[in-house]
Amino acid sequence: MDYALIESNDLDAGTGVVARGVRRTFGDVVAVDSMDLDVPPGRVTALVGPNGSGKTTLLLVLATLLAPDAGTVTVAGADPRTDPWEVRRRTGWMPDAFGTWETLTCREVLETVAAAYRLPRAGIRARVDELLELVHLADLADRPTQVLSRGQKQRLGLARALVHSPAVLLLDEPASGLDPRSRIELRGIVRDLATAGAAVLVSSHVLAELDTLADRAVFVSGGCTVSVRDLDVASAGPRTWTVRALDAGALERALDALGRVHGDPGVDGAVELELTGDDDAASLLSALVHDDVPVVSLRPSGGVLEQAYLSLTKERQ
Amino acid sequence: MSEIVDTPPGPRTWQVSWTGLRTVAVLELRQRVRSTRWITILVIWALLLGAMTTLLHLAFRRLGQGGESEEVGAIIFGLIVYLVLSLGSLISPALSATSVNGDRSAGVLATLQTTLLTPAEIALGKLGAAWLTALAFLAVALPFLGWGFLDGGTPPGRFLITLTLLAVMLLVVCAVGLGWSAITSRTTSSAVLTYLTITFVGVGLPVLFFMLAPLVTTTERRTVRDMVSQSAVWDPRGQVWMSNEMNGDSPMVCRESFQETTVTHSERIWWLLAGNPFVVLADASPMPDGNGDDILSSIRTNVRDLRLGAPAVQDRCADWGRMRAENAAQQEKRQKQRQALNATWPYGLAVNLLLGTTFTAVAIRRLRAPAAKLPRGTRVA
Repeated sequence: MDYALIESNDLDAGTGVVARGVRRTFGDVVAVDSMDLDVPPGRVTALVGPNGSGKTTLLLVLATLLAPDAGTVTVAGADPRTDPWEVRRRTGWMPDAFGTWETLTCREVLETVAAAYRLPRAGIRARVDELLELVHLADLADRPTQVLSRGQKQRLGLARALVHSPAVLLLDEPASGLDPRSRIELRGIVRDLATAGAAVLVSSHVLAELDTLADRAVFVSGGCTVSVRDLDVASAGPRTWTVRALDAGALERALDALGRVHGDPGVDGAVELELTGDDDAASLLSALVHDDVPVVSLRPSGGVLEQAYLSLTKERQ
Repeated sequence: MSEIVDTPPGPRTWQVSWTGLRTVAVLELRQRVRSTRWITILVIWALLLGAMTTLLHLAFRRLGQGGESEEVGAIIFGLIVYLVLSLGSLISPALSATSVNGDRSAGVLATLQTTLLTPAEIALGKLGAAWLTALAFLAVALPFLGWGFLDGGTPPGRFLITLTLLAVMLLVVCAVGLGWSAITSRTTSSAVLTYLTITFVGVGLPVLFFMLAPLVTTTERRTVRDMVSQSAVWDPRGQVWMSNEMNGDSPMVCRESFQETTVTHSERIWWLLAGNPFVVLADASPMPDGNGDDILSSIRTNVRDLRLGAPAVQDRCADWGRMRAENAAQQEKRQKQRQALNATWPYGLAVNLLLGTTFTAVAIRRLRAPAAKLPRGTRVA
């Protein structure tokens, strides 16, 4: 690959991210013990785990900033340790602890990063305009970044990670501080990139925000990978649903008659029960309506990820 | 499982491109210009230099009424050069001593490290920006140096050479600051260590020289010239000049004897002074035509004297002013010896450049990523 210029980025993520047995310690502290991770191209993978589970450290290893103590890592077809340049050329990283050059304007920040990625000078201005438009910062383009709100800084950070059209995108807590509208837009941007072939990794400990974003989830805890779930499969599998009717008593009687195991009605008369996929939910609803139960709503309780996470911790107990 | 190696850098660690350098330097300068009250600082700097230069002129005009104006010009120029060097060495650490660890704690260093900028480009770009700022201070000092130059007595060559060396010395100070800022995690530590390093070279080494002087002082038999009365006789046993005259009204003369005397072998430790920036400047600047009483010339003469060591013939008569004519031959011989010496400044300059290069190289190595080890107490991002 030519060191001087990137003519165009073809979004060739290679095999995306493949990490096996990654370990990283800081003195006596084992931040990452043994993690396995796959981030396939064309999909959004969530990295889920509690605070201090080693998510950020793993991302720093993938972003070529930290060398792993053990294990093998491939990002966009290159080893971050032996060929960090190739990895950097194809990878966008958005850190969680957010620092920005405070006195520079948004435009200057992106122009600086573009120059640092050695984009051809002629194309930088257009690329920066495009990115500012994408993250809705065009009207703040010439304001210094110190006047930006936290959410606006996050959006600038996303634009910064996208400057060189990376094929692999590493987002560390991207949605924190974002308002609902910005979250929806973030989801749109990330999904579009995945559709175009990028391998996207999103870390978070807020499960709800990953639910609509990710295709797969990798659960980590205490520096180890504990489970990998395909979220399409997870939503087809057994999960908890909430059903609410105007008459809680009639609902309970009907469920008992149908032979459904269910919990006790809550304060609002809602009842929780386990259903297997959407088909099961549809047949239950039609049965309840047939029995003249005044059903108000039937919906999955909590997100897919939340349930997967909870069922996972249940398995471990 | 692959083998773990401590040195992960790609071959590009030391690679430097103009675009990369400019990107980093422009980034640094933009932030510096916008975040500090640099105009205010430059004005204060100008006022300070202006006040001190004016005071020097007033003082010497009053004192030096009898002296040649050219000599006064050379003296004032030398003093202003040293003033600029001392104050510049005080200011320059502030320009670079927080440039790496400051960025690290602000969380913006990793942003640069994950781009295609090489560690060398990041380090040298930061160094370049710090140096350009230091040169702005030098540019403001230029009119005051020029004022001293226009007083006369300073050869144009001396003006140009001192100016060039001032710029080089400020670059070295900036490089030391950059190095420390990459080594330590706290900005206060790096600032303090930079000042200590600069003070060690500028003040500590001369102090060390004088502290070591007794250790290279020995008692040897040498030819000594003393002022004694004409009738005095050398007593080899008592190692003294004996005179049987009671009233001592014979004329005093300069006489030689072979006696035990203390000799300081400064030629063994003179090199401690060579790296001192003040000495480098003095030694490199060409001598004016006059008697060389200005500070630059006298430091140059004295350091070269120390380098020659004690003369073979110890001449105590020279202390007697009225006997000067008698010793003119001795003095001239000594001056010829001094002039025959190679210049001292290339050693000093080499030491300083080595210092600057070492600290810059340390900074570059510290900026390599992925990092196997981290400085204590630092976070990557």
